[in-house]
Amino acid sequence: MNRFPGHNILPYALIFPTVTVIAVFLVVPFVQAIHMSFFRVSPFGRVRVYTGLRNYAELLRSPEYLQSFLNTMLFCAIVIGVGLGIALFIAVLATQKIRGAAFYQVAFIWTYAMSPAIAGVIWALMFDPSVGIFTALLETMTGFRLNFTTDAVGAFLLVTIASIWIMLGYNICFYIAGLQNVPNELKEAALVDGAGPWKAFWIITFPMLSPTTAFLIFVNTLYAFFMVFGMLDVVTQGGPGQATEFLVYKIYRDGFARLREGQAAAQSVFLFLMVASIAGFQIWTSTRRAVYSR
Amino acid sequence: MRSLRFILMTLLVTMLALGTFASAQQVVDFWHGMTGSRLAVLEQVVDGFNERDPNMQINPVLMGTYEEGLARFLGAYPVGEEPPLIQIYEVGTQAMHDSGMIIPAYQIPEMLGEDWDFGQYVGPIVRYYSRDGNLWSWPFASSTAMLYYNADHFRAAGLDPNAPPTTWDEVHEYGLQLQESGVVRDVIGFGWPDWQFEQQLALHDQPYVDNDNGRAGHATEVMWPTEFTDTLFAKWSAMAEDGVWLYAGTEYSPNSGFTSGTLTMMLQSTSSLDGIMNTVGDDFEVRTAFIPRVDGYPRGNSIIGGNSLYVSNNASEEELRVIFEFFKYLAEPDVDVFWHQNTGYFPATNAALKRLMDEGWFQESPNHLTAFLQILSGRTDNGNVIGSRIGPFVDARDHIRVAMEEASRGADPREVLERAAERINQLLTEYLEFADTQ
Amino acid sequence: MRRHRKALLNAATHLVLIVTLIAVAFPVYYAIVMGTHTHRDAYAFPPILIPGDQLWQNMLVAWERINLGRLAFNSLFIAIAVSVGKIVLSIMAAFAFTHFKFRGSWLLFPLTMITQMLPLPVRILPAFYLMASFGWLNTYWALTIPYLASTTGIILFRQFFLTVPDELSDAARVDGATPLQYLWNILIPLSLTNIAALFVIEFVYIWNEYLWPLVVTTQADMRVAQIGLRMLYTSERAAAEWNIVMAGLFMIMLPPLVVLILLRKQFAQGIAMQSTK
Repeated sequence: MNRFPGHNILPYALIFPTVTVIAVFLVVPFVQAIHMSFFRVSPFGRVRVYTGLRNYAELLRSPEYLQSFLNTMLFCAIVIGVGLGIALFIAVLATQKIRGAAFYQVAFIWTYAMSPAIAGVIWALMFDPSVGIFTALLETMTGFRLNFTTDAVGAFLLVTIASIWIMLGYNICFYIAGLQNVPNELKEAALVDGAGPWKAFWIITFPMLSPTTAFLIFVNTLYAFFMVFGMLDVVTQGGPGQATEFLVYKIYRDGFARLREGQAAAQSVFLFLMVASIAGFQIWTSTRRAVYSR
Repeated sequence: MRSLRFILMTLLVTMLALGTFASAQQVVDFWHGMTGSRLAVLEQVVDGFNERDPNMQINPVLMGTYEEGLARFLGAYPVGEEPPLIQIYEVGTQAMHDSGMIIPAYQIPEMLGEDWDFGQYVGPIVRYYSRDGNLWSWPFASSTAMLYYNADHFRAAGLDPNAPPTTWDEVHEYGLQLQESGVVRDVIGFGWPDWQFEQQLALHDQPYVDNDNGRAGHATEVMWPTEFTDTLFAKWSAMAEDGVWLYAGTEYSPNSGFTSGTLTMMLQSTSSLDGIMNTVGDDFEVRTAFIPRVDGYPRGNSIIGGNSLYVSNNASEEELRVIFEFFKYLAEPDVDVFWHQNTGYFPATNAALKRLMDEGWFQESPNHLTAFLQILSGRTDNGNVIGSRIGPFVDARDHIRVAMEEASRGADPREVLERAAERINQLLTEYLEFADTQ
Repeated sequence: MRRHRKALLNAATHLVLIVTLIAVAFPVYYAIVMGTHTHRDAYAFPPILIPGDQLWQNMLVAWERINLGRLAFNSLFIAIAVSVGKIVLSIMAAFAFTHFKFRGSWLLFPLTMITQMLPLPVRILPAFYLMASFGWLNTYWALTIPYLASTTGIILFRQFFLTVPDELSDAARVDGATPLQYLWNILIPLSLTNIAALFVIEFVYIWNEYLWPLVVTTQADMRVAQIGLRMLYTSERAAAEWNIVMAGLFMIMLPPLVVLILLRKQFAQGIAMQSTK
């Protein structure tokens, strides 16, 4: 561990920039956010009134906030459930012993380079009420006319599909890497023992992938909670009604557009509690895999 | 690694070089929300100003929608990052007045030791933006709503294109006929639906809020639901049930339905007129008419929408001078006429209006006249018909939209409006409770 | 017989993969094709799926409308500056955590926790006011410095450094090299793959950042490309010139895509390293 004894100041100097950035730009503002959440700021920012827990109490009673929370959870669940399902399926196919497997393994990466805003606009085109191919197909097949600018379901669907799409590259990459770490002998042993490929997958491969799955659940949750912001701001702005006003967008709108800083700060604290529990869980599982043990 | 560092250094040096490029120019940032075809027109107008004096420059910056522009201004001011000049939609009027961040328009000439005749602006605009008889923001791009209709659709359905519907009952009737003859599936959409609700109140001399519609003092509560709003919503709901009224989204989103021929009629701002006519081209004949009414209620007036210009009270004297020159420029008949003819906004000055009439513009393009006739034929003598002034107007509109959306899906009108009223009253109370207006 | 079945299965696998690939790629294809048409052709029904010849003109219009030259420069500068900064800072910290015994070494775990638990939205308003109090709004400082801490990077390099045999550092020490000389001359040249992987991850991340640049910039010439896309899209809501929007989108999505494709091998290795941690 100590490969260079006798340098007492150097290690501190080396971590100093990182620690400073984290302290100044992460910790201090968060502490201030907690402080802010106990105040109500006048609409034009000149008067601050201490209101105790009023912001929190109002949030808990607010039907809009509850709706936003439920929408976020539903969105998150679909992005993880459907997104990881598709990714795993493709990853399994692309790691079969077929010709050109290497090609497929990189052919899906590129969606990783798309920003949520870009993906949003691309899918807004697909969903466009007058020229969108997706809407046209849907109407031909079901007679149902989807309009994401007016239709809550349409907007939610647009954002969800675009999100699954954008995360696909990343998810597939990780599953491919995970699958390649599953020793072939194990699978073959299972096959020799008479298990079919389907059964072998579920009893051997899938459990072996659980660290990858846990990690991807975490990353996709972060996406669904935070990264999706750009897509929402460009395409739906939280609408129609409140259909796509997820928690992160609500904080932004309340804090910056509706000028309710205290209420937005209280939402930040709630959001922190949610993230902290998810992140805590992720770190706990990865610690068990001995990342920090040495 | 090393080459990356080299690139980085090069970039840094270039940036510094750009930054130190000094000049005697006074450039004034101007935030605006002119989207669609209006963007290019605005840029042409600003270019015309910038060509005159290289030391006086206006820099137009699109800040997104009106709503965002307002929010960004209110958020940027306390940290000193606001622009000297900003375009704010009519919804932000009360908030801007209360903000303490602006110089009331009428004080600007005085501050520069100049005179300016505010009587040269057209009446409806002056009335809307005045407080105690003085203009608080500079008239610029004012509009109102009107009914757009597809005359070819009317003909195809056997309707007389010279007799557009004047009441909601007629809209419904016409709509059914248009559907039966297979011309369209949905007939009418509302641009800015929240605003259309406000238009209907004003059009029938009904108050939105108390205190003379928020013009005699801060509003404290909304003045509906009433028998009138029940009747109105019942008519709208009935139309929605028959598929005649389609809730087609907010702001300008119904425009594409109208221009592509999937809607026959649309209530929309006059400011969309030129954009729509350019998009439609020769595809069909666009005509315009007054906003439909509900029979049996008093006559009020259509209200002013669009936007006006505000000046930050942090603007320096040099900036103020550029801004005032720009205001003078905007009032020149040539500029004002160009602006009107290419957007559909009202000309702001009487001189421009006179020029347009003398040149026979309104005979040539009757669609540009409709809104004028509508607003000049209505009452002008109380707050109801001039339009409401509300501090938390932006949020209030959220609730109106929800109510209309729900009504369009068959919810009970009374219930949705009561819910909206309750939420808006809460907003009004909170606005006053935490107001820093004094 | 068995062989026959296997071939059939392989063909089916190929088929499914190819169909999925097409389905995933189609929206981008359609978007770009949209960008190559005139306004009228973009609205044709049924849609024209063959590229037109208007891409260049449309790109010029979009470029001018949002001043994309300036915005792309901003994005590029920020993305490169932050990627390089993050790499430097995380190599430094990872070096400290792996090569020294010092009383700050317990900090690694809390730092990781903090960065994961405090994403921007939970501290956005105070962070905005902090920038204001520094006078950093509408400057490159606000767009770069707060991003510089990266525990992803620290962990990535830490793991790699731990696999480097002790003999190397011992030998360097015997030769009289200082720790920093050892880091610069031996460790960093060995870490090029990791550096490239982190560069891709961070470049793509920063180029695609949206919320923070939206909040800390108000002046048009400090905007980034993503916000430009937003303005382009918003500016067309009333007229919906999809062809212009998509031509602009095409230009904005290209840089991270190019970086990713050029460095895809390193990126994949980086991912493999992350996933085995």
